[in-house]
Amino acid sequence: MKNIAVFGYNRLSFEAISRLDKALYQITVIDHDPAKAALARENGFETANIDFRSDDDLRQVGIGAHVDTLFCFFDTDSENVFLTLSARALDKKLNIIAIVDSPESAEKLLAAGANKIIDPYEICGRKIHDMLKRPDINDIFDHTVFGRHDLHLAEVAIPENSYLENTHVSQLELSAQYNLILIGIVNKHLSDELHFVVEEIDRRLSVGDILVILGPSREIRAFKKDVENQFCKI
Amino acid sequence: MLAKLIVYCSYYLKSADWYRTAKLFFYDLLENSHSRKKKYFDATMICLLILSVIFLIYDIEHADSKMGGYFELAILLVFIVEYFVRGWIYSDTYKVIIEEYEKALYLNLDFNLAGVFRKAIIRDLEYISSPFAIIDILAILPSYRPLDILRIFIIFRLFKLFRYSDSAKLFADALAGKRFELITLLIFTCFLVFIASVSIYMFEYQAVGSGIKNLFDAFYWTIVTLATVGFGDITPQTTGGRWVTIFLILASLGVLSFFTSILIAAFSEKMLSVHESRVYAELERYDNFIIICGFGRVGQEIARHLHDERQQFVVIDKIPQRIALAKKRGYLAIESDASHNEVLMNAGICRGANAILCITGDDVINVYITLTSRHLNKNLRIISRANRHDNVNKLYQAGADNVIRPFEIAGLLAAEFVGQPVAFEAISGILHNRTDIVMESVLVSEKSALDNQQIGQLDLQQRKLTLLGVISDNPIHLKHKNKYQVKQQHFYFNPEARFILRHGDLLVLLGRKYGIDHFRDQVEQRRLFSRKPA
Repeated sequence: MKNIAVFGYNRLSFEAISRLDKALYQITVIDHDPAKAALARENGFETANIDFRSDDDLRQVGIGAHVDTLFCFFDTDSENVFLTLSARALDKKLNIIAIVDSPESAEKLLAAGANKIIDPYEICGRKIHDMLKRPDINDIFDHTVFGRHDLHLAEVAIPENSYLENTHVSQLELSAQYNLILIGIVNKHLSDELHFVVEEIDRRLSVGDILVILGPSREIRAFKKDVENQFCKI
Repeated sequence: MLAKLIVYCSYYLKSADWYRTAKLFFYDLLENSHSRKKKYFDATMICLLILSVIFLIYDIEHADSKMGGYFELAILLVFIVEYFVRGWIYSDTYKVIIEEYEKALYLNLDFNLAGVFRKAIIRDLEYISSPFAIIDILAILPSYRPLDILRIFIIFRLFKLFRYSDSAKLFADALAGKRFELITLLIFTCFLVFIASVSIYMFEYQAVGSGIKNLFDAFYWTIVTLATVGFGDITPQTTGGRWVTIFLILASLGVLSFFTSILIAAFSEKMLSVHESRVYAELERYDNFIIICGFGRVGQEIARHLHDERQQFVVIDKIPQRIALAKKRGYLAIESDASHNEVLMNAGICRGANAILCITGDDVINVYITLTSRHLNKNLRIISRANRHDNVNKLYQAGADNVIRPFEIAGLLAAEFVGQPVAFEAISGILHNRTDIVMESVLVSEKSALDNQQIGQLDLQQRKLTLLGVISDNPIHLKHKNKYQVKQQHFYFNPEARFILRHGDLLVLLGRKYGIDHFRDQVEQRRLFSRKPA
């Protein structure tokens, strides 16, 4: 079970938390505004009342210890930068996701140590642009990424002793055996970069590689289960 | 007999195409402000006017010049012809005749020729007495040389410039808008001039060394002082005269200040509508453009994308700072409240626009603009923004085609990143066109090489393309599994090799852009080839 600390309770954090699986994540909402903290508690989220400006309070809530991911969702960019700096100083490996209000603050947040910047307005603008220019593709995305139907995008890491080890990509034939489409592969030994399958030469899979697949959720679960099995080769 | 002949000619003119065409041509040339021909004609006439004034001035010093005489004659002919053609355009005598004739028939009266001519003459007199026509006549008269006094009317040739310049008309309109203030100021100024003239005359009339000998001298002095020119040719000598001078100087400062402020206010008010009419004129030339209501962060982002790919659009926002920002970036922008029918109509919502984006930060305003837009244009594509989840349904009820929630998408991406960071990168890369790999659709058109082909025969792997699925509304495909409803169509995910394509289907492909474009081109080429035998 992973631990996620969410700083700042607003529409964005509500949307993000609602999409996280409660069975997989332990979520704590922190806001220095008592009214917002009460609202979060009212919506069924676990809350903590601390002052994010104090390093001791950050440690108390678990940063540097059991917290894996940090959401910096304050309404003001300066608060997000401050929190990011504090958290990064306490934990070098912490996964920090921050929202940004003005474009020029994005670089400051990255400099402060954030792993990922999310600009709601830029994303919204891009999506409306896609609606105008590529309505068909946009509809497909609505059904996969935004999960209104059964199609999902998923990633599968190859564990040790998997039957996939040392298999060539062309031998997988996921589309025939599992009704899945292989989108891309990350070769952990080479880089963290995603390589799309359509253009890659045939190469061999290794332990730790990550496969990005698209398909119905039950097929994804079946594939994930088989990947764990050393003797599953049909 | 004569009356019957005139009526016959009138009906002939009414049905004559050449007559109507000729009249329309000259109307475009002289009167139609939207016509390109008028612009050329106006520019030419302005040049002729300037040249004619130059030649007239030259002629005063070189009376025997023949070249000047010939040129003057040519210009004169142009002016005379223009005068009569404008008169011809102004009224249609044959229509008056036909109207009177049919009225007489209906009332069973004798056709009265005298009455008809009286009406026609009245129409002509309307033209002759209009300000521009008077200026035209006065511009022609200076050429009649025996009457030297008429040379003074050379100035009216310059007045003709007003006819050919839209800017001059704008100037006149701006002043007309301040008519009340200007008249008030004029009355006050006349009163002031009268008092000052009489006063200075009374004090200075008998003074030794005074330059004021009569009332006109006093009037002259007052005007010179009022305008702050102060030539100094007449100066007050008595104490009373000097007090009058002090009073006049102080009062004239107020008069001039007031006059200046009236002019500035008139022009600054006019400039705003000038800019707006320029925006609307620009929009008139647009086709298939997009209206963006709300230039906040979302609007700025969309505008940047549309601008980068040269898609035409116009921005509407009621906050001046945002409109200033839009203009600074070179976008077409209107500072107005988009929830008013008039604003949207002027922006072209029923003419030229094919989509409107209602993306202000206020859901109430977005619903209202959406409803207004749907009310004005039933077929327009409307994309609206909702900040709260509860308001999504209201926007669809108001008529939106798509509703998008910025915080929902951002929240989803944040959650996705936590769970599946690599998949997140894939989504971001494809969604933002950041990588070379794109997702596009290819249409199976009628008689396409793809029509009636099986998926397995396409050889997509060789082309380095991945087929994600097929979008289709064709009922013949419904027996296939792995289908998902997408509005009125179905998306067939990962179709099997036996899936047969039909025209109208859309292939959803993943690959490099030039790979997909090449595939599309090849399909089209085969289509062209297959047409030749037929």
